[in-house]
Amino acid sequence: MVLMYLVKKEFRQVFRDRAMVWIIFVVPIIQLLVFAYAVTLDLKNVRLAVLDHDRTAASRRLIEAYFATDLFIPAGSVGRPDDLKKLLIEGRADMTLWIPRGYGGDLAGGRQVSVGIAVNGTNSSLAGRGGGYAWAVIMQENERLIEEILLKNPADSRIHSIRPVTRFYYNPELRSRFYMIPAVVVIIVTIISGLLTGMAVVREKEIGTLEQLMVSPITPFQFIAGKTIPFVILSYVELSIATTIAVLLFKLPLEGSFLLLAGCMLIYLLVTLGGGLLASTVSQTQQQAMFTIWFFLVFGFIMSGFFFPIRNMPAWAQYLTYINPLRYMMDIVRGIFLKGSTLTDLLPHLLPLFALGVLMFSAAILRFRKRLG
Amino acid sequence: MRRVIGIARKEILHILRDPRSLAVAILMPAMMVLLFGFAINLELRDLPVGILDMDGSSASRELIRSMTSSGFIVNGGYLSSRSEIEPGFRHNRFQAALVIPRGYARSLIRNPSTEVQILIDGADGATAATVDNYMNAVIAMTNRSSLPRSLAPSLPLLEARIRYFFNPQLVSAHFIVPGLVALIMVMICAILTSITVAREKETGTMEQILTAPVGAHQIILGKFIPYILIGAFDASLILAIGHLVLDVPMHGSWMVLAGYSMLYLLIALALGLLISTVSRTQQVAMMLALITTLLPTLLLSGFIFDHSSMPVVLQHLSKIVPATYYLRVIRGIMLVGRNWFPLEGGVMLGMTVVLLITAVRRFKSRLE
Repeated sequence: MVLMYLVKKEFRQVFRDRAMVWIIFVVPIIQLLVFAYAVTLDLKNVRLAVLDHDRTAASRRLIEAYFATDLFIPAGSVGRPDDLKKLLIEGRADMTLWIPRGYGGDLAGGRQVSVGIAVNGTNSSLAGRGGGYAWAVIMQENERLIEEILLKNPADSRIHSIRPVTRFYYNPELRSRFYMIPAVVVIIVTIISGLLTGMAVVREKEIGTLEQLMVSPITPFQFIAGKTIPFVILSYVELSIATTIAVLLFKLPLEGSFLLLAGCMLIYLLVTLGGGLLASTVSQTQQQAMFTIWFFLVFGFIMSGFFFPIRNMPAWAQYLTYINPLRYMMDIVRGIFLKGSTLTDLLPHLLPLFALGVLMFSAAILRFRKRLG
Repeated sequence: MRRVIGIARKEILHILRDPRSLAVAILMPAMMVLLFGFAINLELRDLPVGILDMDGSSASRELIRSMTSSGFIVNGGYLSSRSEIEPGFRHNRFQAALVIPRGYARSLIRNPSTEVQILIDGADGATAATVDNYMNAVIAMTNRSSLPRSLAPSLPLLEARIRYFFNPQLVSAHFIVPGLVALIMVMICAILTSITVAREKETGTMEQILTAPVGAHQIILGKFIPYILIGAFDASLILAIGHLVLDVPMHGSWMVLAGYSMLYLLIALALGLLISTVSRTQQVAMMLALITTLLPTLLLSGFIFDHSSMPVVLQHLSKIVPATYYLRVIRGIMLVGRNWFPLEGGVMLGMTVVLLITAVRRFKSRLE
């Protein structure tokens, strides 16, 4: 009964400020929308500037091959090599293609030709993939030239080739969005549950109402339950809203069961709520709590494999990710959404997550007890 | 001016009274740049591929060897049946699987075309596409090398010499560290100033300040100055770490970079102040500071995701994110060696002025 009053009070406190309603319900939806459209690693519209010294049908064919897809878009053609470099430096082109004089003639005569490609390497990942595609276009052109030669010698029946057949599982159209949206759901819940709990406790400390609560006949258990239950409820509301948008608007497949997702979320909430409470016990002011939680949030995002693959990190950093609850939760949510993972599939992620949750929550309670006693 | 100094002095006392927050504000950025600068690597390597070799011939082993020779993909273990492939994807044991059918070696000699299967976990679409490209390229190369010798000397006819400018080795850190600088600076500064006014409102000291004979712009300015110092210190520290420890090159001028960084700092601090004047509680202020800085800077500034592949609406939206401009400047100065950014500088200056004026206005409207 007392607990219900505490929960009611907490809800009232949260929603007393209009701004908070926006922060809790509207902002996450906007984030989900922006994320879904912004976060794409698909390569598109690479600006390619061309210097064609040859100006023959063959060189024009190569240039057309580049602009046949929306991967490359023209960034102008110039007359001197220096102009190419200038375009790169001023950031008006991402890549340049230089076709030497005699390109068409040499190819027709069966002599090897090499074209020059310069890439702006500032964005290392984009440049690496862009360079790869630029190379692939050249290879395709090569293939075409070889086929033309082979057509001239049809007598040759000694050609044997391997034919690769590719099949993509789970996300056949390879949309980055499908991979990112489940992760955004995790982030939204993390921010709401971790941050708000921590700040709610410190706030009482800072404005002095914590003492009042302590002299009242409320047990530490009731106090902690009263501080966490409202945010558990809010987290589930967020989860349901985000899942609905993901499935209905973005056509994300929910291969696994929503019930399993909700169950895993409960274990995850143990971690975030425990973390928020723990941060609040070591902080005196809301600012300190904010900084502490913020640090762990950014650490959690970056070391979770969300944008930066864990496999590419140095060994010490990979070990560090094992204490990052977000790492497990990302895999769990992505697995349930995209791969239809079942409880047995997820156990290797759920067990460490549960251990982390129990650890953090009991640490928070112990610290609380000490303060109260 | 004396009044401004008075307010500033009071704010400094506030900061010093809470040495832990100050330490966090100074040490945390340095720690984050170090940690993430070393940990983040965007280059894909060592992707494990499960191998189901049903032929077990020297030809099939040859194909496996050429697949894994460059180190881009590695042998993620031999499978004994097809039924192991999907569980492997579900447990993230490997990214793709290569299936070489029984009779592969014989078919290669007898038939014009022999099929092998490449099965890829497509959940991470971008990585899947890269793996697909790579494995197909290896097969194309294998095919070409098995062409009859009479054709071989003239192949390949066309060759590409690819050069990467400004970051020839495509080192991830050179790309990531400037982004980290932009992200950490805007967050620290905005969170620091976002509570300054909100705290006075919440603890009730606002009324006392309002009854004092100081103007709105004097209060705002006084609250602004101490944080410029902290922000400037933070910025110098993380830029120094980026250059000295993480080896990000410096092709441009430090003076120019310092100037633009200062401008960026002012934007972040002014943003925090504006948030502070519109928020009633510290909690709302800090949530707003977090929301307006963390995700927009991560997602829309070009930190990781390039603007060119975004929808047009988001490309326009990214123009109001300050980090978009600062990132162009800092990458331009450090990596490219450009020192002249009239457009970016102008926009950043405009943002500072607008944010500061709005903050003072909002504050004034509260006064009346």
